[in-house]
Order: sequence, then C-alpha cells, then structure tokens
Amino acid sequence: MLSSVHNPRFLLLHYRWPNLHFPPKPHRQTTAKALHTTQTLTLSSTATSPPQSQILTIRESLLSRRTTAVELAAGYLNRLRRTEPHLKSFLYVSDTVLKEAEEIDRRIQRNEELGPLAGVLVAVKDNICTADMPSTAGSRILDGYRPPFDATAVRKLKECGAIVVGKTNLDEFGMGSTTEGSAYQVTANPWDLSRVPGGSSGGSAAAVSARQCVVSLGSDTGGSVRQPASFCGVVGLKPTYGRVSRYGLVAYASSLDVIGCVGSSVADAGIILHMISGHDRFDATSSKLHVPDFTSQFISRDLLESKPLKGLRVGVIRETLDDGVDPEVISLVRGAASHLEELGCIVTEVSLPSFSLGLPAYFILASSESSSNLSRYDGVRYGNQVVADEINSLYGDSRAKGFGSEVKMRILMGTYALSAGYYDAYYKRAQQVRTLIQESFKEVLDKNDILISPAAPSAAYKIGEKKNDPLAMYAGDIMTVNVNLAGLPALVLPCGFVGGGSTCLPVGFQMIGAAFDEEKLLKVGHIFEQTLQGCSFVPPLVADDFAC
Amino acid sequence: MGCCKLLLLHTTIKMGSRALLLLRPITSTKDLYFKNRFLSEALIVEKRRVRSYSVRSTIHPPDLPRLAKTARISLTPDEVEEFAPKIQQVVDWFGQLQAVDLQSIQPAIRADTKGENLRDDMPETFDNRDAMIAAVPSYEEPFIKVPKVLNKE
Repeated sequence: MLSSVHNPRFLLLHYRWPNLHFPPKPHRQTTAKALHTTQTLTLSSTATSPPQSQILTIRESLLSRRTTAVELAAGYLNRLRRTEPHLKSFLYVSDTVLKEAEEIDRRIQRNEELGPLAGVLVAVKDNICTADMPSTAGSRILDGYRPPFDATAVRKLKECGAIVVGKTNLDEFGMGSTTEGSAYQVTANPWDLSRVPGGSSGGSAAAVSARQCVVSLGSDTGGSVRQPASFCGVVGLKPTYGRVSRYGLVAYASSLDVIGCVGSSVADAGIILHMISGHDRFDATSSKLHVPDFTSQFISRDLLESKPLKGLRVGVIRETLDDGVDPEVISLVRGAASHLEELGCIVTEVSLPSFSLGLPAYFILASSESSSNLSRYDGVRYGNQVVADEINSLYGDSRAKGFGSEVKMRILMGTYALSAGYYDAYYKRAQQVRTLIQESFKEVLDKNDILISPAAPSAAYKIGEKKNDPLAMYAGDIMTVNVNLAGLPALVLPCGFVGGGSTCLPVGFQMIGAAFDEEKLLKVGHIFEQTLQGCSFVPPLVADDFAC
Repeated sequence: MGCCKLLLLHTTIKMGSRALLLLRPITSTKDLYFKNRFLSEALIVEKRRVRSYSVRSTIHPPDLPRLAKTARISLTPDEVEEFAPKIQQVVDWFGQLQAVDLQSIQPAIRADTKGENLRDDMPETFDNRDAMIAAVPSYEEPFIKVPKVLNKE
C-alpha cells in the first residue's frame, strides 16, 4: 500500500542512510497516553524506514531500562561537541545536562513517576527566556542578560521532565531569514556547511537536523520556524496564533509572533506542541479553547489502510507555484501533492488572489510593531548601557552600540510608517490587507481541509548570497508570511531533495490548516511522512552515528 | 519613580502605537505592565481621534536623521549613508499598497484568538525581584540610576 510517487526525485535514493539507532515501533498507536505505559519494541529496520519519534523511543528505552538518561544525554552532548565547531547552532550550552540526567536516572531507580519528556534534550531559541541561562535574542544589547523567569513554554517542557540543552542562534530579535543576522555568529546548514540554515530559527533547525538535541523551540513571526525547517530537512510546526503562550518570548511583532516546534519527525513536533499549548494567564492572547490530544491519531505505518486519507480535500495554492520559485521546488511540491492523492486525497488547485499583497503588508506591520516593541531596549532596566552624560544620549548610544544594522533599519522603517499622518497610508492599509488575506484563506479553507505550498521559493542558499539586498531577502518569505497574517497553523515537513551528489539539499513543503486545527495537519503530516519512500533526512555530517 | 515616569513619557512621544508593545507582558514587571496597558488604551483612543483628521495629503520620503532622532537611535554618518537608499527602496516597495482598493475593508488588528482572555486587574508581586534588579546596569539601592534628565532642550 505504500504509494509510489510520480516525481522521480522521490524514488532516487540520494542517501541510503541506515536506520537511526532508535528502533522503529510496530505499535498500534503512538499516543500521548501510550507515553505513560511501558512499551516493548522489536527491532526490525529497513534501509530507509520512515522517521520515528525520538521522544517515544527515549521514553521506552528509559522505562525498559535498556539505557540510562545519562547515556542518552552523553550521546547527544558528544555529537553536539563534535559538530558544533562546524555548525555554531548554539549561543549557550548548559553545563548541567548530565546532572539533570542523573536525577532522572535516580527517579527511575526509585520507581518514581517520570514526566512524559523525561530525558528529552530540548534546545531553546535564544529569544525565549530561560531563568538559568542567558537570553540574548541574538543581540548585543542583551549580551549577558539573564531573565528572572522562564517563558511559559519552557516552564511547561521542564515540568514534563525535559532537559534544556542550551540556547540556539538566531537573526537578531528574529529579524532575518538566514541566521546571518545574529550579533554573535553565523550558523551553518548541516547539509552543506557553506549554506545558511535559514532563519530566523536557524540554530533550532540546524540543532535538530544534526541531532545535537531531540527537539527544539523556535519562534515564527513570518516563517522563522518553517523556512529553516525546510532548509535543514526537519519538521517545523507553526501553531495557530493564540495556541501557545508567548509569555517570555522576546517580542518582535506582537500581532504575528508565535512560538513553534522543531522535530525530526511529525510525532515529535506534535508531542512538543501538545505539551506547550493552552491558555496562560500571563498572555492575554493565549486562547482558552480546548487543547485536543494532537498525538492521539498517529497511526503506525503497518496499520494504515490503502487509502488512509480518503476524501480529504487538499488545495494546492496556485500563486505559490509561480515564476520566481525554483522549478525543482515546484516539482517536489507537485510530487508531494501526487503522493497525497495516492493516499486518497482529492487534490485541486485553489487561488488566493491577495497572496502577493501579503509580503509588503507583513513587512509594514512587522517593522512598525518592532519599532514599538524594541523601544524597551534603552539601556536603563536591563541590557547594555553606555556611559552618557544625559538621558537621550544614553538611550541613543546604548541602542547605537547594542543593535545591528538590520534591526536599526527595521526600527527606522517602522518609525517612518507610524509617523504622524502616515498611519493610514501604511499601518492601517496593511491591516486592511490582513483582513483580505484572512477572508481569502477562510474562503478556500471552507472548501478544503488543508492547503499546500512550498515552504520557501528555493532550497538553502549560500552564506552571504543575499546579505546586502534587503528586498531579495524579504522575497524569500513570500510562502510563509500570509499564514502569519491570517494566524493559521502550518506544518512544514521534508518531501525530497534538490540537486544531487554532494550538493544534495532537502526541501520541505508547507501544509496550512484552519485555525486551531493542528490536529488535522499532524495527522496528514504523519501519514505523509510514514509513507514517503526513499528519503532519509539525516544529514551526512552525522549519518555515521546512525549506522546499524 | 521619577525615572519610571520619564520613561513612559519618552516612549509615548517617540513611538507610533504604544498598544503594540502591550499585547503581552514580556520582561517588565507586572506592575509596570498594568500601568502601561491602561495608559496605552487611553492613548489609542486619543490617537485614533487625532489620526483620522490628520492624514497628510502628501507622503514625504524618509528623512533619516529625523527618524533616528524620533526613534532615539544615534546613527553614524556612515550608517546614514548606508541605510538611506535601503530604507528608501523598502519604503517605495511598501508604497504598492497605495494602489490597492481597500475602501470599506475593516482593518484586522490580529488573528482572532477566540474569546475574552483578559485577567482581573489585580496587582501581583513578582517573586524573583532580586534577579530582576540584578539585571539593572546602574543600580543604587533603591534607585535605578540614569544620567541627568533635565537637559538644555
């Protein structure tokens, strides 16, 4: 019943990496409920078996006492130490990981209850606050800053037993698409060290891709989780606006920002989302809507029917397969659509007429909101302060020294767009465009269960390639910004490779769902992933670790 | 406290829409958040009223030194030279929205998060006060120190 895919790229075994050392689970369901029961697994692997949940495998191996939390953590830390000089995905690595793992092992010894994420190494984007680690948001202005609290998402993960392994690199304050905009270092793509990992959550995506951690948190204002997920060959999940509390997320553009999840499988991204979702009294924009168990419908590949997605209506967004998009990417997305068709979906083309207006509207809103949000960095209450003899120089010079060029430019653009008398011409118009976009999405999502598009117009490009051309850089966000304007959930998952040989790069496609319907995206994504043949998304850099 | 008041005044003069900053509390104390929120709500109302009558008939290109002064960011002459064409290019590109017919379309502030989620307006004490104070660059119990605020202007 495993579908063959029309696109020949799917059938090319560019990399025939042996299976991860995590045993596949022949289980009926990999539900969150199953997290609480000991599972017995049998080892049976094929050359390119689909990605398995690292989280569930870790849990199983801890509960069966096949391995210890310390051994698991040491494995990731060793890989992190070996790969980090090349990748530079972390701005800070915790020195208490093994100590925390020891504590988990002690709990296991004493037969105490284990949190569902016990022993899972989570990396956190450095614009998400952690009380016991620095949180710089990639900016010099917050160099050395230690927040007095954990972000709600981080607190929830810790309460589930997760170990925070460190803080990942990003474009300063999330403003960028390559991670070159970090004030500290440039992160490399694990698939090709001369290329960018995408951004702004480039460190979070690279870290998961290179298996330096199990899963990671990122943030997505205009595609900052999804585009790097595509560039690095991992799964990136942008939840619905309001699904996850943003308390402790360094604000960039408040009407668009969400915290998102990165994992090496759809199941892992879904499990993490499940753990961090829900209303939080410290974030008035977090929704009180019920959080379903996103993971309850993950069905093992062996138990799938021949047409597991029969009748599901899928709309391919016409405007996203237009000029300016790499033909190889278009063919991969069309291949993904064919694959969904094989699985029983009814695939049609849909149109979002206001699609192209999303990009300028997004940048007006994002830069305007950032000019307001970043006014808090004045060098007075936290962050870096320069010596000055009067207050305005203190503000001006602290920012001059603390902010990078892109941040300064966006603040200035936002200040311009919000200048007295220009509000109606820029900010209000952009908000009106947002209404148009929300309406056009609603219209097509009334007739379709999910929409699909590329996650980015191309695969990862070279470091430095677009650095000095802001509009070229902004254009790369065309596939993702509309989703933020509409506040919808979207899942990016790898669907194949472009290029070949040593320049082979992963590409992800994007599935967009109705507001608060992450469940459907995860279900479809999981089935897609489990039935996609011939692709293994473990980069060559760390593939040796996963030999049988 | 004088310092705090000054900061608020400063930001209200400087920035366009205070409301944006306040969609969620981030690193400020909760107390400050409450003060800000209500101050900002008052400002939004006021601003909307003013704005609806003060739309400029012509749009002038960005004047970088003036913008930098408004945003309270010191720029070097090299930065002015580097940023000006880039900002002009992006602002020109923003301009494409002027051509779109948006009459009678309601602006959307953000996506609908389904339901009213505001909590009661009750002050709470932040429990890690010491860590917060430790982050202040210049502190002299019980004051946050800043240079003189009454300048020649």
